[in-house]
Amino acid sequence: MSYKSNKFADKSLNFIFLSKLLKLNWIIILCVILLGLVGVASLYSAAGGYWDPWAKNHLIRLIFGIFLMLILAFLPHTIFFKLSVASFIIGILTLILVKFIGTGNVQRWLNLGGINFQPSEFMKLALILTLARYFDYISRIQLNRLISYVFPVFLIILPGFLVISQPDLGTGLTIIILGLAILFFVGISMKFVILSLILFASSVPFIWNKLYDYQKDRILVFLNPEIDSLGSGYQIIQSKIAIGSGGFFGKGYLLGSQSRLNYLPEKHTDFIFTLISEELGFLGSISIILVFCILIISIMKISLELNSLFCKIVTLGIGFLLFLYLSLNIGMVCGLLPVVGAPLPLISYGGTSLLTVLIGVGMVLSINVHDKEV
Amino acid sequence: MKNKSQKNLEKTISKRFFLLSIFKSFVVGAIGWRFFDLQMIENRKYEKLSDDNQFNFHMVAPERGRILDRKMRLLAGNMDGFSLVLKWNKDIDVDNVVNKILNVININQKDLIKFYNEIKSNSKGLPKDILITKNLSQKDVSKLAIRSIEFPEIIFSMTKKRVYPQGIFAGHITGYIGPYSNKDSPSKINFNTSLLEVGKTGLEKSFDTDLRGKFGRKRNEVTSKGHIIASQIYENTISGNDIQISLDMGLQAFAIERFERGNNTLVSRQDKNIKKQIERAYNINYVNKDYIYKDKKNRIVDPQSGSLIVMDIENGEILCSVSSPGYDPNIFSDDLEIEVWNNLKNNSRAPLLNRSMSGVYPPGSTIKMAVALAALESGIINYDTKFYCNGSKELGSSTFHCWAKDGHGKLNLIEAIEQSCDVYFYELGLKIGIDKIAIMMKKLGLGQYYDIEIDNKSKGVVPNKEWKLKRDGLQWSLGETLNASIGQGYLLTTPLQLVTMISRIANGKFSVTPTLMLNKNNSRFKPLKINPQHLNFIMKSMERVVNGNNGTARNYQIGSKEIEMAGKTGTVQVVRISEAEREKGLIKNEDRPWKKRDHALFVGYAPVLKPKYAISIVVEHGGSGSSVAAPIARDVFKYIFKV
Repeated sequence: MSYKSNKFADKSLNFIFLSKLLKLNWIIILCVILLGLVGVASLYSAAGGYWDPWAKNHLIRLIFGIFLMLILAFLPHTIFFKLSVASFIIGILTLILVKFIGTGNVQRWLNLGGINFQPSEFMKLALILTLARYFDYISRIQLNRLISYVFPVFLIILPGFLVISQPDLGTGLTIIILGLAILFFVGISMKFVILSLILFASSVPFIWNKLYDYQKDRILVFLNPEIDSLGSGYQIIQSKIAIGSGGFFGKGYLLGSQSRLNYLPEKHTDFIFTLISEELGFLGSISIILVFCILIISIMKISLELNSLFCKIVTLGIGFLLFLYLSLNIGMVCGLLPVVGAPLPLISYGGTSLLTVLIGVGMVLSINVHDKEV
Repeated sequence: MKNKSQKNLEKTISKRFFLLSIFKSFVVGAIGWRFFDLQMIENRKYEKLSDDNQFNFHMVAPERGRILDRKMRLLAGNMDGFSLVLKWNKDIDVDNVVNKILNVININQKDLIKFYNEIKSNSKGLPKDILITKNLSQKDVSKLAIRSIEFPEIIFSMTKKRVYPQGIFAGHITGYIGPYSNKDSPSKINFNTSLLEVGKTGLEKSFDTDLRGKFGRKRNEVTSKGHIIASQIYENTISGNDIQISLDMGLQAFAIERFERGNNTLVSRQDKNIKKQIERAYNINYVNKDYIYKDKKNRIVDPQSGSLIVMDIENGEILCSVSSPGYDPNIFSDDLEIEVWNNLKNNSRAPLLNRSMSGVYPPGSTIKMAVALAALESGIINYDTKFYCNGSKELGSSTFHCWAKDGHGKLNLIEAIEQSCDVYFYELGLKIGIDKIAIMMKKLGLGQYYDIEIDNKSKGVVPNKEWKLKRDGLQWSLGETLNASIGQGYLLTTPLQLVTMISRIANGKFSVTPTLMLNKNNSRFKPLKINPQHLNFIMKSMERVVNGNNGTARNYQIGSKEIEMAGKTGTVQVVRISEAEREKGLIKNEDRPWKKRDHALFVGYAPVLKPKYAISIVVEHGGSGSSVAAPIARDVFKYIFKV
């Protein structure tokens, strides 16, 4: 499959712009804006009713990000196809770089001219693109052979382990699960999937020994938060208290006592959803989850309608990435999953994850606009 | 081929797409259910936990009720005190703060040690208010207060300190308070008990719930770091009730000083000769810190120890209850020095023992009225029955001596009581038997507990045949009856029982029981059921003890026409005197070591014409009842009736 962009040369720019504007998936854009604004409102509440230090920054980033997303949406999606391998290589290089010149007490951040940036987030997108490119490149018949999956597994494991060794178990696992989901999607043999699961289960003790103490603690505490109710279990317990005490209607916007009195840890980043649940109750939490679901389903729907395998995989990958973000974060705050450190896309304070998601959605929009023209 | 694989691929991808969607729906469904469970089903539980986080409750201690004497004089009250408290959390550099404080004021070393222990024991690392010291003076407070900006971590709090203005004069009666410990009550108290102080002994203990009042609660809204951002009264504090008791502190103070002096003389401690001697004397709790006692031979002596009780014979109110040596309950309000406590606990004269209620002594001759009443009531003798006393009574191979070596000759009951003839009562005892004597003694209040408002742990002993069989498995012997008839042997009584016995005799109608409360209902008394004529006769003979020509206390009449006392002396032998010693001639009481001297007792009532108050006095190892105890009784009655 090849892409030729000179097809549009005879049409006026104005016309192209308008036609693209009409083809934009406005539901996705609306969902993104809505969730971003929920984020701004929540961060305003997390600061105790102040724009500083989080809400204002988040709003600026959001506006900038949405602008970037729309630019991406108007770019032809062939760019992503072409940049896929390069982005992967750059991603791996920055991940290695961050090992040496990373900032922060855990080496996750790269300082680029005053802006802290987390390469592991962009790695997720790079991985999606690269895998899509790979599976688009190899022949259809080869997809049935197990040997075709050796290289993709390497592509997944390499960034996965680089990130885990930062150490950032949450993001690393997200990368690996994301990659494996794509392998599963393109049709890796079911027998192999089951075999891998068994292999994984049997290697758990080995992996356990390789974990850092704080990671072991987090998992142990997840299994029983009460063993350390003031240490690592504190976050989970306090988060559950905050969510549970919200009730159906919540305590009211800006009135969450748990967060206002600082019982909630990380209330502006990973535990932002706890604050929302406490203040807006079951109604608010479920509504926001519902908006996320609409966003994800819309993206998946695009994936289903596409013809090109590359576009199909990219769209599905980004949809699945959003789902992973959502379920890891919310699963964590409500105690269903261990505290692994996963942001809630569009709502949590933090530029990199916001940009990652907006770029991802921008790519989906672009694919949606341009793929139909093929 | 290509088409086929294309189709296959599309089929697989659709299938996998479907499977992934199912997986996602399942995960989102699980999350949805989780939120439903947390926020809808278990909402109540988490609401409560959230409130527990948000609010904490501080107990506010109520002001403890006062204890007042019958004339509203303060026995126990509260004084304002200031405490210094550190609002501790993990980030505070404790040493630095303490050093800064020490630059401004002095803090007791012991308080500091306690404070550091408290910090160490706070292992959980939760923010907490920790007491630095309770003993802050007003001056210290103002010194710190003007520099309060330098000490953001410390706060002052007003505390109430228990004070006993009467100090040692009523220590045994008021008792003292101390921090609550689990021993004090079996029921679990669920709140922060570090504030709670409860009565440990005396009235403080028996009226603890009345005096304590009810704790209030303050509700604080606290952040996770323990900072209080709002505070409101949640439950009002209810102060404890005052109680008024029957003691007359004027009489009490007079009685203690008179009692402790005994027959000795007061000398100033500032005297050089005396000073030297004091250094060698016992370390005891003197009521009077400036003076000390000297006996007739100019030897430095300790104050008399023992008990003195004055009781109203009509209503049983106790006006005065001396137990010497005593202790000052104020020492328990501060942190008790270990040496002070050890001295109290291990002192050979047992200052912590409330002798009036818990001390047991053989009553000696003071019991003779009971024996005589037993004989009269049983009809075995009449008022004129006479016996001959030649100084001793032979029974089997033993000889039982009368205190008068040469005997009293032939005498009747009234003379026998007047002169306290032992032989007469040996004969009476033999005639009526121990069991009847025991019944009468019990009727008069011996050998039993009373329903008095303060721990009276001693029951004493009123022996009879059954009692001995039960205790030793031995038969009662007649010799033991003889001993019991003159108040020796197994017989043991408390001073409170003796004064109750006299009150019942002088009252004549009711079985009066002692009380420390004012205006308690008199209907609690049961009828006495003793022939009034017999009682009158016994009272006549008690008058003769003081006013008769041969009375053992004839030297100590009050000497007023309207007010005279009646009574009975008692001298209790503490050490058995062998025949050989008796032959050699007895060593004079005051020349024996203190522990081997006789107890001096006196029981009595006044005024003779219209009895009002009963008294019992036990002077431990004081010598003879007539020369040591009787004059004290006379002076106390003189004080009471102002003659």
